[in-house]
Amino acid sequence: MENRNSMTDTSKRKKLSDNVKSSIFLSPAWILLLVFFLTPMVLTIIFSFTNLALTGAQAQNLRFIGFDNFIKMFNDVNLYNSIAKTLIFVLFSAILGQCFLGFLIAFLMKGKNATFRRIIGIAVIAAWVTPEVVVAFSWVAFLGDSGTLNSIITSISDIEAIAFLFEYPMVSVVVANIWRGTAFSMMAFQTALDDIPVEVEEAAIMDGATRWKIVWNITIPMVKGTITTNLMLVTLQTLGVFTLIYTMTGGGPGNDTMTLPVYMYQQAFVSYQLGYGTAISLIILTIGAIFSILYMKFLKVKV
Amino acid sequence: MKIGKTEKFVHHAILSFMAILFILPLLWMLVASVDTSAIQSLKIPEALTLDNYKSVLEDPSIIRSFVVGLFLSGGQSIIVVFISVLAAYPLSRYKANYKKPFLYTILFLTSLPMTAVIVPVFQLFLLLNFVDSLWAVMLFLSGTSLPYAIWMMKNFMDSVPVELEESAWIDGASVWQGIQKVVSPLMVPGIFTVLIFTYTGSWGNFFVPYILIQSPDKMPASVTIFQFFGNYGLVNYGQLAAFSVLYSAPIVLLYYLSQRYMSKGFSFGGASKG
Amino acid sequence: MTKRSIFAAILFSSVLILGACGAESEEGQSSDSNGSGGDKIPIEITWRGTGESDNIRRYLEGFEADFESDNPDIDVVLAPIMASEGDYFSKVALTMQSSETAPDIVSEDTFMLSSDANAGYLASLDEYVESWDDWDMFIENIKTGTTGEDGSVYGIPTTTDSRGIWYNKQVFADAGLPEDWQPESWEDVYAAGEAIKNSDSEAVPFSMNVAKANGEAVSMQTFEMLLYGTGETLYDSETQKWNVNGQGLVDSLEFVDEIMNQREIGPSLSIALNSSYGSVMTQDLLPNGGVGMVLDGNWNIGNYLEGGAAPLDNVDEILGFATFPTQNGEEPGFVTMAGGWSWAIPENAQNQEASWRVIEAMSSKESQADRAVVEGTLTVRKDSAEDSRYLERPLIEPATKALENAHFRPKNDLYPNVSIEIQNAVEAVASGSMTPEEAATSYKEAVTGIVGEENTY
Repeated sequence: MENRNSMTDTSKRKKLSDNVKSSIFLSPAWILLLVFFLTPMVLTIIFSFTNLALTGAQAQNLRFIGFDNFIKMFNDVNLYNSIAKTLIFVLFSAILGQCFLGFLIAFLMKGKNATFRRIIGIAVIAAWVTPEVVVAFSWVAFLGDSGTLNSIITSISDIEAIAFLFEYPMVSVVVANIWRGTAFSMMAFQTALDDIPVEVEEAAIMDGATRWKIVWNITIPMVKGTITTNLMLVTLQTLGVFTLIYTMTGGGPGNDTMTLPVYMYQQAFVSYQLGYGTAISLIILTIGAIFSILYMKFLKVKV
Repeated sequence: MKIGKTEKFVHHAILSFMAILFILPLLWMLVASVDTSAIQSLKIPEALTLDNYKSVLEDPSIIRSFVVGLFLSGGQSIIVVFISVLAAYPLSRYKANYKKPFLYTILFLTSLPMTAVIVPVFQLFLLLNFVDSLWAVMLFLSGTSLPYAIWMMKNFMDSVPVELEESAWIDGASVWQGIQKVVSPLMVPGIFTVLIFTYTGSWGNFFVPYILIQSPDKMPASVTIFQFFGNYGLVNYGQLAAFSVLYSAPIVLLYYLSQRYMSKGFSFGGASKG
Repeated sequence: MTKRSIFAAILFSSVLILGACGAESEEGQSSDSNGSGGDKIPIEITWRGTGESDNIRRYLEGFEADFESDNPDIDVVLAPIMASEGDYFSKVALTMQSSETAPDIVSEDTFMLSSDANAGYLASLDEYVESWDDWDMFIENIKTGTTGEDGSVYGIPTTTDSRGIWYNKQVFADAGLPEDWQPESWEDVYAAGEAIKNSDSEAVPFSMNVAKANGEAVSMQTFEMLLYGTGETLYDSETQKWNVNGQGLVDSLEFVDEIMNQREIGPSLSIALNSSYGSVMTQDLLPNGGVGMVLDGNWNIGNYLEGGAAPLDNVDEILGFATFPTQNGEEPGFVTMAGGWSWAIPENAQNQEASWRVIEAMSSKESQADRAVVEGTLTVRKDSAEDSRYLERPLIEPATKALENAHFRPKNDLYPNVSIEIQNAVEAVASGSMTPEEAATSYKEAVTGIVGEENTY
């Protein structure tokens, strides 16, 4: 009896001290998250109910205006446009673009000569490590009227130079974003694919399975965890993309590439409506939250 | 897995083609930066020159912005690595019932694009009298990249066997010494991955400092390059290219130094095996 | 750890430490230079910097040298904000929020002045101008532009300007157009554009600001020049209501559509929608015959004079400046918008007395003339206008003549918000994403939302 009691005692004490230790270890993280993450989130909710303005009489006269910003949103066709543009941008550049292309490259690279893999890897990763503003400049130049792409097109055909950024603005920013982000998915998939034991696939070949069947029934299920986690991370990173689009097209021409972060900037800093801009921020946060809950729930992203 | 010769050739061809597509836009930058008469398109330089680099490097305000940028992003990366190692430790080592909800919360926070809430952040900075303070911007940037860093770091730490640590404790080491002597060295890949992630993210971020910093002489390189070329046009292609190359250099260097750990670092750890 | 990783770690951390020290010492230095010379008061002047060829900087550098030698107790610090025109105003508003960051003197476009004054960002200058004799030398209706809605003076005007059509005489000659050209209706402008289009010249026939990226320039240099030429105005200052239904709004957008899409006598969208439109057009294409006509401000003359971005030996032989016609030649035949910039003192500025001394010196007869000459703008002081350097400036005559029929932008603190909607409408039409009617409808909805239905007509 005594013995058992002392056992529970030590384990209790250990647990207690574990909790104390955890809180010591976690406290710097908590402080930082509290001040610079949770506070701005709470402020976002508060300010989205105000008439906060950058200039004019309203700037001096901050007050709560109830749901006015949200009523305005409800009637704002440009906001609907921006939501649609954001979803298109995320769907094509993150989900279909980066994830798919990243997987394809990683898959094709599997089992190839190390030097070859290295060279291909460097080419893809070079795009990823290039700072976002520089990526934007490079693509503006690449797609320009007398840029590299048009030089190639005009030299091999008699098509006239195409003003890509103005005639196909969404395609342009989507392609640039795929270009920039694919390396992330590629590296994740490479690690996952390399972890699959060779024997598993070889056994399948012995059984006479076709290539597609192997990929579909064996390879993909084995990296499913990486696919979902990667999908989630890439989606959410893409949702917040601002610099690339702002530098390449400024959201234009018209509102053709006006994704939510760019629209938020426009409303807050160009139209001086900080309160309305904040309400748009809240929409962005909500979309991010919905995405991540969906991913966690239905695709079972594990922690 | 054995594959046929034709298929192998097709694979190589596809990959090589893609590599060319990936390198083309960047190639222009490299070539134009040393061309005496750079134009918008990729072309063979008429004559090589370092004048473009010289004119960028001779501008004291550009040098200053580079130093500020290094200070901001470097400081942020160190803070993030340090705090995330600390936070990941109990999350990985101790059994506690708060762990799962905490980790889900962290993962959830990862999803929120904090740059989108710059207006409330600016108000917060006004309130706390942080406007124009590089330190405060560094801490804000640290806060925004922290959830992701903690999450990654925890996954790395899970892959460091706890037995090694236990044997150190038996030898009389404290928890802290255990982290320092046993865990950290094995965590080098993870630390490098988080480091380069954080650094890359903020080195290219022009939006946050652009709004939160007001003095022209405290602007980091990301803002200067945008201001020089974003507003007044991509006219001087040679200088733009040279600036871009110099501006990309620190990340390329950092990546080069840490890449040997990166592929290992990219496993989504426990997540991919779940 | 392997040797290599240790090396990497050392290298990286030393880069960081160097960076940190550097940044620290830089910070230290900048505050040093502010406080250098013991008790010198630093006065920071903020304006919109335009990079390499910055006419205002050229003027201010000259001013700084003179002023500091006369006033050893003040250290003038030049602190331009490099931003696109639209971003400049929000950036200025952000800096003025806190006394930590507010500049001592800020350059304000007159249209932002009443907005920023209403926001409480600007200090009233009433007590200074009351005891300032020179104030009488300023042109009266320009003074009203820097007076707030409450009747206080918030800025000292520095320049004004007029707008018209710049044209390249060589391109005109190639298209068989006269060297001394003056259109009398919009139709004449189209005709000249078509003549250039049909000639051998490769030049863009006609160009104007249409991109949102160019901010206020789109509203003022393009849309309002057109609208005020139809006989309508943006805002009725008597009833204090905004125009949202006028045919002139549609007609003005139709002009944009005719140029850009119907007749295709405008620039390609890659040029027109680029944020560098202004410098490409006025500093490169216009002097070099890459464009026939450009609807823009008279101040571009500053680019072509000695020391400017694209100096020309004999400006009047290469370029002409025509006043902009009314829609169908209605009286008085031509029209211009006039704007201008002023110096103001932020409410949060630390040394307002000293700031005023600097503004006073910048507003002297001599200094005003200097600025107008260097920048190519029109002066707002009657006596500076008699300066011989100013009178001898090429093309000063048509620029001044245009001012005879000058209109000013609405004096209403919602104008900046309405202006953004004008820019949206013009870009939408220019890029072909909306018809003029659609854009006018969407403009009506947006403006009604901003000012309230009861304030429209």
